[in-house]
Amino acid sequence: MAKKEKKDIARANYPKLYTSDPLADLDADTREKVSELENYIMKNCLWQFNSRGWDRRKQNAGILGMTAQLLIGEDVEISTAIDKCYWVDAVLLARNFTARCAWLGGMGAEELRTIMTKLHARIDWLTIDGSLNEELTVQNY
Amino acid sequence: MPYHEFEVSKVIPERKLHAVVKGPGEDLTSCLPKGYLNTIPGSISERGCAYCGAKHVIGTPMKDVIHLSHGPVGCTYDTWQTKRYISDNNNFQLKYTFASDVKEKHIVFGAEKLLRQNILEAFDAFPEIKRMTIYQTCATALIGDDMAAIAEEVMAERPDVDIFVCNSPGFGGPSQSGGHHKINIAWLNQKVGTLEPEITSDYVINYVGEYNIQGDQEVMLDYFKRMGIQVLSTFTGNGTYDSLRGMHRAHLNVLECARSAEYICDELRARYGIPRLDIDGFGHKALGDSLRKIGLFFGIEDRAEAIIAEETARWKPELDWYKERLQGKRVCLWPGGSKLWHWAHAIQEEMGVKVVSVYTKFGHQGDMEKGVSRCGEGALAIDDPNELEGQEALRTLKPDVIFTGKRPGEVAKKMRVPYLNAHAYHNGPYKGFEGWVRFARDIYNAVYSPMHRLSAIDISKDDYETGKGFVTRRMLSDADLSEDAKASPITGYTGKFDPIPDLRKKTDYPVFARRVAAAE
Repeated sequence: MAKKEKKDIARANYPKLYTSDPLADLDADTREKVSELENYIMKNCLWQFNSRGWDRRKQNAGILGMTAQLLIGEDVEISTAIDKCYWVDAVLLARNFTARCAWLGGMGAEELRTIMTKLHARIDWLTIDGSLNEELTVQNY
Repeated sequence: MPYHEFEVSKVIPERKLHAVVKGPGEDLTSCLPKGYLNTIPGSISERGCAYCGAKHVIGTPMKDVIHLSHGPVGCTYDTWQTKRYISDNNNFQLKYTFASDVKEKHIVFGAEKLLRQNILEAFDAFPEIKRMTIYQTCATALIGDDMAAIAEEVMAERPDVDIFVCNSPGFGGPSQSGGHHKINIAWLNQKVGTLEPEITSDYVINYVGEYNIQGDQEVMLDYFKRMGIQVLSTFTGNGTYDSLRGMHRAHLNVLECARSAEYICDELRARYGIPRLDIDGFGHKALGDSLRKIGLFFGIEDRAEAIIAEETARWKPELDWYKERLQGKRVCLWPGGSKLWHWAHAIQEEMGVKVVSVYTKFGHQGDMEKGVSRCGEGALAIDDPNELEGQEALRTLKPDVIFTGKRPGEVAKKMRVPYLNAHAYHNGPYKGFEGWVRFARDIYNAVYSPMHRLSAIDISKDDYETGKGFVTRRMLSDADLSEDAKASPITGYTGKFDPIPDLRKKTDYPVFARRVAAAE
């Protein structure tokens, strides 16, 4: 029979990271660049839309964190099968970003890290902290 | 918040929160309708019930199973044969349906004996079938029949049979989606881990949330086999009961319809550590990226690339032929749940149409998040629409074609809007590289049907051209195209009427040496 584990009820009460759009005060050029990346994700990807907020937090951090490492050229550590799933989505995302946004090629490691951090904040805002989805804090899947 | 109030629903003010128009600069923090709530009294919903969601959507596509409803025969009739989830065992699950035929006297005196008798009779009538699912309905739930106890008795009496009990009566949720959830978790709790499957590959997946509509699963299975991947189970289209008992041994859950089946993936992840990978089987780019992701996961991306290259070379020119002719055509994308986001972006990018509205009958806000994100500005997003709202939207949006279920579809036809069946398809399969061209072909045929144009003329009122006779779709679609486009040697889809029989006969799959020789 299937294993039944005790449900982690606390996971539904994840803390909010942002109370307003974290990119609201960004300069126009950076904003446009982040928008381009954001638009690709929102139109083509599904990983940012897992059904619960705590799960989305993990997905966004896992995939966007690894995407940043891949774009910068750093080694990515994969220790579990779930990490491997993050990595798979990150590889596809990095490839599609590079193919569509030539300006990424002219950026150094720090610039890439900065823009990916801002993108991560924006995706967290859209899909978790600023989301109008009332089911994100439901305890069950 | 850009809520949209329908004129016809002003008498139901709560409905205003269930529709939004995506305006300039709107995103998900400002533009999302309510969802997955009880239908507001007075609104004639198009939803199904939780029993329907469990049985009709998820349970019944299992192919080697007697599917028995414990309740009035009407419940069974309404969940029988209305969706084309075919199977490669001569469609047993489509041809036969079973009900305990509960009547008023059983409500008074109980229906457990009746259920037991029906189970035994059904197994006796089909002695080659040893698996059964039983579905609770509103009536038998309310009288408190203990279906699980009866199932246990029968299994003790007949050790060669196995029975799954699904306790999802019609009132068990706001819509069929409540039933999706219940059957996902019930299957996991009752059946997963009760049978050890044979492992034949280094790369083992469960293909989840795939219902083999007109052969979709068989198309995808072909790609997986060409990659040397073992599909341990399909949840549930064309799937077998026993293969689904062995889901716990997969290395990866590949999830197609997250709306109906994410629950079992998430619980398999929590209980067995099997990761969940969401994919899109619709659209050439999305499908290509999906195969690449699965290939990457197992370190066999080259096998995925070979398939993508071959299939794209064969089918992309024909897809582009349709795209040129469907540019700017206005589409209402009104399916049940997941197709609003599976299709919204892909049909705009790869077929050139414009999605002017999305709706979902039973989806959650999570589905609308995906759908609204994948639409362009100006799109009207509606949750749980009623029929009058649908009619008002068709009158104001004036779409060239609508993709929806057959109930609203027939209404649309009467309003002279061509309709394609988004649930059961017109001439599917629509998944796969070839399937996507078949979908484009069906859209083209709907939009440019000369017969449909004639039907829109009211000869008692309208002026119409009496001197114009014969027209074809091609004459209509190519009228404004360039001479080069008109001279194209391509003439649209050139595949077979039904590609599935050839797939079933196919045996020449590559054999890859295993890294792990011993069975797990």
